[in-house]
Amino acid sequence: MDTRKNIELKIIFWTIAAVFSLFLALPLLVLLGRSFVGDQGVTLEFYRSVIADRKFLPALGNSFLVAAAAALAATVIAFVLAYMIHYTNAPLWLKQAVRAAAMLPMFLPTITYGFAIIYSFGKQGLITRLLGTQLFDLYGFMGLMTGYVIYTVPVAFLLIHNTMGYIDKKTLVVSKVMGDGTFSTFWIAVVRPLLGTLAGAFIQAFFLSFTDFGIPASVGGSYDVVAAILYNKMIGGIPDFSRGAVVAVIMLIPSIGSICILRILERFNIRYNRISDIDLKKDPARDISWGTAGSVLSILILSIFAVIFVVPMVEEWPYKTGFSLDHIRNAFLDHELLDSYSHSITMAACTALFGTLLAYGAALITARSTLPDRYKRAIDSISLVTNAIPGMVLGVAYMFLFPGTPLQNTLTLMVLCNIVHYFSTPYLMMKNSLSKMNAGWETTAMLMGDSWLKTIIRVVTPNALSSLLEVFSYYFINAMVTISALVFIAGARTMVLTTKIKQLQYINKFNEVFVLSLLILITNLIAKALFSLLAKKLAEKKK
Amino acid sequence: MLELKNIQKSFDGTPVLKDISIQVNDGEIISILGPSGCGKTTLLNLILGIIKADSGQILYDGEDLTEVSMEKRGFNIVFQDYALFPNLNVYKNITYGLKNRPDISSKEEVEELIDLLGLREHLNKNIEQLSGGQKQRVALARTMVMKPRILLLDEPLSALDGVIKESIKDRIRTIAREYNLTTIIVTHDPEEALTLSDRVLIIEGGMISQYARPESIIHTPKNDFVRKFILNQLEIKRNNIYALFGDQLTVPAAQAV
Repeated sequence: MDTRKNIELKIIFWTIAAVFSLFLALPLLVLLGRSFVGDQGVTLEFYRSVIADRKFLPALGNSFLVAAAAALAATVIAFVLAYMIHYTNAPLWLKQAVRAAAMLPMFLPTITYGFAIIYSFGKQGLITRLLGTQLFDLYGFMGLMTGYVIYTVPVAFLLIHNTMGYIDKKTLVVSKVMGDGTFSTFWIAVVRPLLGTLAGAFIQAFFLSFTDFGIPASVGGSYDVVAAILYNKMIGGIPDFSRGAVVAVIMLIPSIGSICILRILERFNIRYNRISDIDLKKDPARDISWGTAGSVLSILILSIFAVIFVVPMVEEWPYKTGFSLDHIRNAFLDHELLDSYSHSITMAACTALFGTLLAYGAALITARSTLPDRYKRAIDSISLVTNAIPGMVLGVAYMFLFPGTPLQNTLTLMVLCNIVHYFSTPYLMMKNSLSKMNAGWETTAMLMGDSWLKTIIRVVTPNALSSLLEVFSYYFINAMVTISALVFIAGARTMVLTTKIKQLQYINKFNEVFVLSLLILITNLIAKALFSLLAKKLAEKKK
Repeated sequence: MLELKNIQKSFDGTPVLKDISIQVNDGEIISILGPSGCGKTTLLNLILGIIKADSGQILYDGEDLTEVSMEKRGFNIVFQDYALFPNLNVYKNITYGLKNRPDISSKEEVEELIDLLGLREHLNKNIEQLSGGQKQRVALARTMVMKPRILLLDEPLSALDGVIKESIKDRIRTIAREYNLTTIIVTHDPEEALTLSDRVLIIEGGMISQYARPESIIHTPKNDFVRKFILNQLEIKRNNIYALFGDQLTVPAAQAV
C-alpha cells in the first residue's frame, strides 16, 4: 500500500549497503585473505610464525593486562566523578568543572596524551620538576596505563553519567526508610542498578585501550603491545604485510569479543520510565569528601595536559623556560603544517557532513519506515560490525585494498574510512532520537497530502535538528583526533594534523607536536562551542 | 454510506478480526467499543487504509475502496496522541495540508473552524504550550481543514480529564452535525461510547458482539459479554454517583447483572 514511499527508502538503503560493502566488508575480506594466502597458496604458515615469534605472545599478554588495568581504573574514576555530580550537593560550578575536565581528553588525539605524559612525568617533566622526583618509569606499563586511563575516562564517564541520570533517586529514600544502612543503600540504590553500565564502561574502555595506537606510539618503550607490533609489521623498517594481516586479524578477536559482551550486558541495564529527582539530604561530610575526590581527579587529568600549553610557549623546554611565542609563530609560517591543518578541517567537515547524512538515512530506515525487517536487521548488523572493528584493523585493511586505485592516499578515502569507523554511535544516537518521535507523523502528513520526502523535510528533519547537530559534532571531533586508521592511509600530500604529529615525532620536533595538538584542541573547542550555540539557538526558536 | 463486508484480518496467523460486516450512514457518529486487544484499533486502521484486510471489502457510497491507498481514500484521522508537529505553531499545524492542496478549504472555512473549536487565541502558540484539550482541538481542526469524507478518531478522550472530556465530546458532536460528517470513534470506555454516538459497535475477540443504538444496548443487551462488561461497568458508575448524591434508588451492581 505504501509502495511509493518505500522507493526513496530503498535507494537510501542500497546506498548505505554499497558504501559498507566497498569500504568495510571488502577490505576486511581482503585482509582475511592476505593472512591466509602466501606465494604457495593457502597456508597457516603466517599464523604459525607470528604466534611462534617470541615477542608476540608476551605483547598480547601485555596488551590484555595493561588494557584491563586501565579500564578498571578509568571505570572507578569515572564512577567517582559521576557520583559526585549526581549524588552530592557539591556546588554547581564544581560539578560543571569536573564534568568539563572529564570530557576534555576527547578533544585531543591519543598520541598527544603520550607526549604529554612524557613531558609531565619524564626526567625533565613538568610534574617531575614540580615534585622534585620522578613518580614512575613512564616508558612501559605505567606510562601506557596512564595514557589509556586518560583516553577512556571520558567514554566511561559519559556512560555512567548517563545511566545515573536515569536511576530513580527515590529508591534512596525507600531504602533508607526500610532501615538499610549506608552500604546497603549504596548497593541497592546506586551500584546495583549501575552494574550493567559499569561492566559496559569497563569493556568499552578495555576495547579502546586494547586497540589504541597513539599511546603506545609515544610511551610504549620496550613494553610491547599488539598495536605497536601491528604498526611495525606494516610500516616499520622491514614491512611484512602477510604477518601484519595476521596480527590485525588476531587483534580483531578480542575486539569482537568485547562488543559481544557489551551486547549481552545491554540486557541487564535497568530502565526506569521516568526520571524522578529528589532533594538529597543535607550531608556536608559527604559533599566535602566526594567533592574533594572529584576535584583531585580532575586536577590530575588537567595537570597532565598543562604541558601542552607550557611547552610550546617557552623558549626551549626544559632548559630555557622564559615565555616565548616563537614556536607558535614558526609553526604558522611552516606551510606544510598549515596544509595539514587545512586537510584536517576539510576531512573533519566532510566526514561530519556525509557521515551525518548516512547515519540519518540509516536511522530513518530502522526507526521510521515500514521496510521489511530484513532491511532493518541489515542496518543494525552494519552498525554492530563497525562498532567492533578497531581503527587500526580498518586502516591496515585499506592498505591492502586501495593502493593502485585512484582512491589511494586521498582525502576522500580518509573521509570514507572515518565515516565507516565511527558509524555506530551516530547511527544509534539518530535511531534513538527518531524512534522517540510521534509515530503518527508520517501517516498524518501523508493524509495532508505530503509525499514521503516532503514529510521528511517539513516535519521529521526540523524536529531532528538538535540530534543531527550532535551527530555532526561527534563525527567532526572524532575525525579531528583520530589517528589509528589514518596513519596507514594518509599520503604525503594528504597529511592531517594527527599523522603529521606522528611524523614530527620521528624527527624529534616536539615543540611542533604540541603546537599542532593545541591547534586540534582549540579547533575542537571552538567547534563544540559553535555547535552548542546553534543548539541553544534552536531550542530558543522553539520556545 | 460506508460499508464493510466480511472483513478478516490476521497477524502472523493469529486472527484479529473475524468476519466484520457493518454499515455506517452519512453523518452518523459511530463508536467502536471493546476491551484492549479486541481488534478495534485494527478495524480503524483498516478503514483508514494503513493496513490491508486479508479478505472482505470496504465500500464508500458504492465505490470499492478495498485496494485504494490511504491517501486516495479521502478519510482522515486524529491520533490518540494527536501527532501534532512540534516544529510548527498552532496556525501552521492547522493549515499544514493547505500547502499541498491550497484549494481544499477557503480562508473563511479555516477561520470558521478556528472559531468553532475555540482556537483563535492560541494561533501563535507553540504546541508545547498547549493543554491536552487544546492539542486535541488543534488536531481536530488540522484534520477538518482537509474536509475528510469520514473522520476517524482514535481514543479521542482517553488522555483528557473531567470537564475537558465533556467539552470535547460537545465539539465532536457539533462538528459532526455542522458538517454532516460521518465520524468513527475508537474507545474502550462504555460511558464515552454510549453518550457520544448514534450507534455503538461492540467488538469482542475480533467479532461483532452487538451493533445498535445506545438505548437498545442498555435495554436489550444481546449477550453476556455486553451485560457483564459493558452494562455492569455503567451500573457501578451509576450507583457510585447515586450513592454520592444520597439517592435512595441504589441498586447493588451484582443484582443488576
